[in-house]
Amino acid sequence: MGEQPNPAVELAIETRGLTKRFGHQTAVNAVDLAVPRGSVFGFLGPNGSGKTTTIRLALGLAAATSGQVSVLGQTMPGRLKDVLPRVGALVEGPGFYPFLSGAANLHRLDSADRYAPSATRRARVHRALDRVGLGHAAGKKVGAYSLGMKQRLGLANALLMPRELLVLDEPTNGLDPQGTREVRNLVRSLAAEGTTVFVSSHLLAEVEQMCSHIAVMSVGSLVAQGTLDELRRAGESRVRVRTPDIAAALRVLAALGLAPEQTEPPGRAGGDGNDDSHDDGVVSAPLAPDSRPAEAIVAALVAGGVRVRGFTVERASLEDRFVALTGEGFDIAQ
Amino acid sequence: MTRVYLRWVPAAVVTAVITAGALAVPLQAGASVDLPDKTPQEVLELIGDSTKDSLSGTIEQTSNLGLPDLSAGGSAGGSAGGDEAASALELLTGDHTARVYVDGHDKKRVQVMDRMAERDLIINGYDVWLWDSKENTATHVAVPPHDKGDFPKPGDTPTPAELAEKFLEAVDPATEVTVDDDTEVAGRTAYDLVLTPRSSEDTLVGSVSIAVDSETGLPLRVQVTAQGETEPAFLLEFTELSLETPDADIFEFEPPPGATVKEKELPEHPSKDGKTDGDHDDFPGEVSGSGWDTVIELPAGSAPAELTESPMFAQATEAVDEGAVLSTTLLNILITDDGRVYVGSVPVERLQSAAAGG
Amino acid sequence: MLLALAAVPVLIAVAVRLSSSPPEPGRGPPFLDRVTQNGLFVSITALVVCIPLFLPLTVGVVAGDTIAGEANLGTLRYLLVVPAGRVRLLLVKFAGAAAFCLAATLTVVASGALIGAALFPVGPVTLLSGDTISVGESILRSLLVAGYVTVSLLGLSAIGLFISTLTVVPVGAMAATIVLSVVAQVLGALPQFEWLHPWLFSHYWLDFADLLRQPIAWTSFGDNALLQAGYAAVFGALAYGRFVTKDILS
Repeated sequence: MGEQPNPAVELAIETRGLTKRFGHQTAVNAVDLAVPRGSVFGFLGPNGSGKTTTIRLALGLAAATSGQVSVLGQTMPGRLKDVLPRVGALVEGPGFYPFLSGAANLHRLDSADRYAPSATRRARVHRALDRVGLGHAAGKKVGAYSLGMKQRLGLANALLMPRELLVLDEPTNGLDPQGTREVRNLVRSLAAEGTTVFVSSHLLAEVEQMCSHIAVMSVGSLVAQGTLDELRRAGESRVRVRTPDIAAALRVLAALGLAPEQTEPPGRAGGDGNDDSHDDGVVSAPLAPDSRPAEAIVAALVAGGVRVRGFTVERASLEDRFVALTGEGFDIAQ
Repeated sequence: MTRVYLRWVPAAVVTAVITAGALAVPLQAGASVDLPDKTPQEVLELIGDSTKDSLSGTIEQTSNLGLPDLSAGGSAGGSAGGDEAASALELLTGDHTARVYVDGHDKKRVQVMDRMAERDLIINGYDVWLWDSKENTATHVAVPPHDKGDFPKPGDTPTPAELAEKFLEAVDPATEVTVDDDTEVAGRTAYDLVLTPRSSEDTLVGSVSIAVDSETGLPLRVQVTAQGETEPAFLLEFTELSLETPDADIFEFEPPPGATVKEKELPEHPSKDGKTDGDHDDFPGEVSGSGWDTVIELPAGSAPAELTESPMFAQATEAVDEGAVLSTTLLNILITDDGRVYVGSVPVERLQSAAAGG
Repeated sequence: MLLALAAVPVLIAVAVRLSSSPPEPGRGPPFLDRVTQNGLFVSITALVVCIPLFLPLTVGVVAGDTIAGEANLGTLRYLLVVPAGRVRLLLVKFAGAAAFCLAATLTVVASGALIGAALFPVGPVTLLSGDTISVGESILRSLLVAGYVTVSLLGLSAIGLFISTLTVVPVGAMAATIVLSVVAQVLGALPQFEWLHPWLFSHYWLDFADLLRQPIAWTSFGDNALLQAGYAAVFGALAYGRFVTKDILS
């Protein structure tokens, strides 16, 4: 399903057969990820699908059992020291010293970076805090921060230096709707500056709104990868026919080369309060991209003596697609 | 995977280097030294000719007499006399490090370096000071000028020279004297004079070896090995030695402010302070036998009741018909029920027969 | 923790000051009987009291917290992503633990000297050898002793650092380090393990008194430094081996 990585496109993150096992448990299984430069890449998957482990492998925090990772064209973790200064990261939630202020935490992390000039440290910390809207709380101890504020501080840390790649693991976790929107805007503006942004999330809506590319993880494996449009198109459409004449409808649709099935038995599809509809059932069939237009199908049904009481063409949402890819366990509501 | 393995290499290498170093250092110390051959007689003359009388150095004493560790309960005795006896016993049987400074015959200082404490003997001309930092006491013994010559052997922790002299006096037909492989002590090359009792039945001593500095004739190490043992039961050796004259102010001693100062008359027996190694010339008791099988008898009442009645005593000794026996690898002590004490480097039976005869 | 350490000499000094009879020689911790005569001995007495437990305790807490504490807070991954460099991080952490050893020791010495000077007369100091030295030289000796004790604790710091790389639970690493220091001292007190004694990192801990002899006995200082360097090298290398290959999952 996923697009094969195009060698002509420069990749910000590329993995080949990346596998990580913890004992007998395989957390990441032969993942081939291709994150093009300049993209806003959404890395989707349910909790525990291996997203964070993949990010840890890419950032050299953990060693792969097998397979390769390269980030910004350099192999990891061999060239870690050259690569990581160009990467800003927020990994699995913020981690800060609760007894230090937000600004002091950033100072400390920045001074651990040998490439970060100490002369501009104050200014850069200040700017990063302002950019995530924490300017007013810079002097407050992190222990007194709310989860959302800590999350913003984590983002500020990733923005201390100009980066070529930002890896943001669940950046909107714990943020209120207002904060979520701010993060979206931030990601957009960063992308506009040419930064590649790699965002992992279990929230489809969030990814759908800001990403140009998407990859989907499920139980350790990469199940889909491509641009947003490619994935949308790959999703199937279905026709849904509401009628009391189930048998006739099945016959007509089959004659049209479709693979119809009865999704609701007669008498169960009612619901519009109309007395006529008490014996309605629903027949549906997947619609291939090259099959007949909807109006031709309706005409054929009517011609076949089917009492068509309702007819819809349902284009699968990305959400349906993810449920299909990752199973019902996907926690969409969260 | 190979990379993972490689990162443990430093840990393995460091451990290997340290282990190798720890094993190699003793080997190196025992590395073969080749000196011009000397007969035992020549080595003895070397000692006799030794004129070196100023030095400073560190002496280490280790005893492995098979005794319970006395240093732990050493101060259990109540009276001062008991303490002194215990401390004398501890001084002889424990492991010690002492620094020795000698400048001529009339200036000596011995510092027994205990943990967190120190016992000093300072001899400077006619003044003799004993200092005990733990008790914070300084004892002054004034030596009358005419007695000076009679006070050549300060009893405290004997230097190798003093001990060696003692053993060399015992060289008689009962002893085989040989020169073993040349050795190295405190970084100096040395001849190793070995005295072996000709009869192995009369004594517990297996051999006594004395390392003699090849240059100055100073005895550098004395080892006493018990019958049938390979490790020395008693070892006294220089671990550091400098032949330069020590600073004069090392021999100056003023009792520190706040310390208890005692004046003591020169005692009747120089060994009364209880710190000698059993110099039997002045003993109130009797000496029987000679050479290796000497048995010393102390009259009734020598063993203080508080000692014999203490539970530790019962634990350390073994009951026999005559009383109780304290056995060590080098020395047997028989304490009869009436308080007589028999001591000798001889089997217990010899002590028993001496007790019966006496 | 430094405050707690500073309190030890104060407690000793106040207790001695308030007690009606001066301590007898040879009773209680060494040097205690000297305190009433010379306040500068509070430092030394306090060190003797602190070395077996309080100092290893605080060093264990600091050294055990080095890596495990960062891992527990989640800051370790951010430091590594910066990238701080794993070897560099270990070195910085060990240097930090060593700096704490020095600070802890100096705290005890300084607090002891101050409270001693406040509550007791101060004058020339009697050394173990019975010689007396001036106040100025005694301060120099106190600093030497502080240096000795600091060096003594480096081995334990390295052990703590290594243990700290094994876990993400700082309390566990701290407890393990402290337990090891107690075990080492118990083994050191058992004559049955005499062959092992020179290899225990706590073997020379109380031999700092050798610096209070006249002339100074440097042997134990050298032996101690060598032993501690050995421990630092072995456990430093083990910590390296462990940490550079470790998956940071916290």
